[in-house]
Amino acid sequence: MIEIEHLSKHYGETIVVDDVSLRVDEGTITVVVGTSGAGKSTLLRMINRLVEPSAGRVLIDGQDTMSIPEDELRHRIGYVIQGHGLFPHRTVAGNIATVPRLLGWDAKRIAQRVEELLLLFQLDPAEFAKKYPHELSGGQQQRVGVARALAARPALLLMDEPFGALDPLIRSKAQDDLLTIQRRLGTTVVLVTHDMEEAFHLGDMIAVMDEARLLQYGTAAELLTRPLPGFVERLVGTAERPFRLLSLAKVGDAVEPGSAEGEPVDVSSNLRDALSRLIWIGSPTAPVADASGAIVGRISVDGILAHGRRPT
Amino acid sequence: MKMSAASLRIAAFVLLVAFVSAPQLFAFVFEPLTENGAPAIYNQGSLLSLTLAHLRTVFGAVVASTIVAVLLGIFVTRPAGMEFLPLSRSIVNIGQTFPPVAVLAVAVPIVGFGEAPTLIALFLYGLLPIFENTLSGLTQVPPLVLDAAKGMGMSPRQRLLGVELPLALPVILAGIRLSAIINLGTATIGSTVAAKGLGEVIIAGLQSNNVAFILQGGLVVALLAALLHDGLMTLERTIASRLGRSM
Ligand SMILES: Nc1ncnc2c1ncn2[C@@H]1O[C@H](COP(=O)(O)OP(=O)(O)O)[C@@H](O)[C@H]1O
Ligand SMILES: [Mg+2]
Repeated sequence: MIEIEHLSKHYGETIVVDDVSLRVDEGTITVVVGTSGAGKSTLLRMINRLVEPSAGRVLIDGQDTMSIPEDELRHRIGYVIQGHGLFPHRTVAGNIATVPRLLGWDAKRIAQRVEELLLLFQLDPAEFAKKYPHELSGGQQQRVGVARALAARPALLLMDEPFGALDPLIRSKAQDDLLTIQRRLGTTVVLVTHDMEEAFHLGDMIAVMDEARLLQYGTAAELLTRPLPGFVERLVGTAERPFRLLSLAKVGDAVEPGSAEGEPVDVSSNLRDALSRLIWIGSPTAPVADASGAIVGRISVDGILAHGRRPT
Repeated sequence: MKMSAASLRIAAFVLLVAFVSAPQLFAFVFEPLTENGAPAIYNQGSLLSLTLAHLRTVFGAVVASTIVAVLLGIFVTRPAGMEFLPLSRSIVNIGQTFPPVAVLAVAVPIVGFGEAPTLIALFLYGLLPIFENTLSGLTQVPPLVLDAAKGMGMSPRQRLLGVELPLALPVILAGIRLSAIINLGTATIGSTVAAKGLGEVIIAGLQSNNVAFILQGGLVVALLAALLHDGLMTLERTIASRLGRSM
């Protein structure tokens, strides 16, 4: 668990981060979102002390980060930046091995870990371990950047616009991969982005920042249903709101008793996808199947729409 | 293309080795240049030992310049040394603008004749290219890469040795190459203060009005320079291409 308490940073007269407090639970993804210059990167970099706070403190599992030597602190926290920052003079394997080497792991353990991570990120070790970063595509470089950050099994991963340099198609795949890997490893992630879509896609919790201040901190559903008037409301996007709510809810949340004709929809898919299926096939209802394929009920357009409605 | 470059390289090397170890074999080439039955091939010492002495002087001077210039370049790019950057620049520049002949004139009364004043002159003359290239190499390291290194908990020393210097290496090597090539030619003036080297051959030619001698001395220096340039250039390219840069 990370506790950020009254954290501030100013450069001379300029206040870049202004009295921000928030708590990040173990094993969750917290997304800090806001426009450029809001102070997101500075907030993130105060967690691993790349920026020294002017006031306030950061606790990791109850321990004040100021009490840990800074290099040691950073060995324990994964760090991924936009454009990945891979070492051009080291191979993929050499890049991934960076922190384990700093920690003095033996060669065999490092080699095993590198192979394990390459496989986790769907990069064939035989093909990629010996390549240099400039021989990789943007998406592959980005994956190596995340693999490198995870090499020493950090409990916390900081990501600063990690997908910012990717094409939209690759970006969405990279986001899904991050989710899968994060769920599997249980790593706590704090991710910075200016892309609201990305925030909704990835964030268990979303922190909205503007002009150095934390405006609102809550779950995606809270932000959608009760956005703070003004900046947050505009950022959340009023027109998109119902659809975003639908993507947050699962078919399982809206399943009703009864039967229906046609191809069943999966109980774990989201309501937005289910609705688009119903629109496409031109049917008001569809059967719902669980993971084993057994029919557990049905879903209807009306039932779905109720989930996208403004709460009263 | 690649093939012919390689064979040219080998040919130049073979020619150089053959000429300095058995110069008499080439007497027929230089005979037309002599007058009044003067010797066609330098006969006051072994060309081979003069060449080796010449190379030794240049090597010593370049090693010394490299050590000092690279250390200085590292120092003035650290937070603690930044304020000394303008000062070091001026000092190193003076080393380059002060003519090596004048350095010899100043150094001889202090350190005596022989190799020492030549080493001093070459050392000072070779500092600038290495220093400037060390600076530009170190300041060209992408900030993102340094940020990542810092974020992963590399200490300033680990960043310098593990990231900054390896990335600056091709540029630093180019500076060393420049300095070595300049010094190969400049080292010939060492013979005026009794340092052993290929300058002897040229000076002997000038004194006895023997064009053949002058040409031989010049030719060996030129071949050495070409081979050294080529070798170091290849090394720089190899390292740079690994970094994904083209030169
Ligand atoms: N070292 C610094 N010195 C002065 N101002 C800075 C420094 N770092 C960041 N800033 C300023 O702080 C503000 C917030 O920066 P940053 O945290 O990078 O914002 P974001 O990541 O949200 O785009 C910007 O206006 C930036 O110019
Ligand atoms: Mg930023």
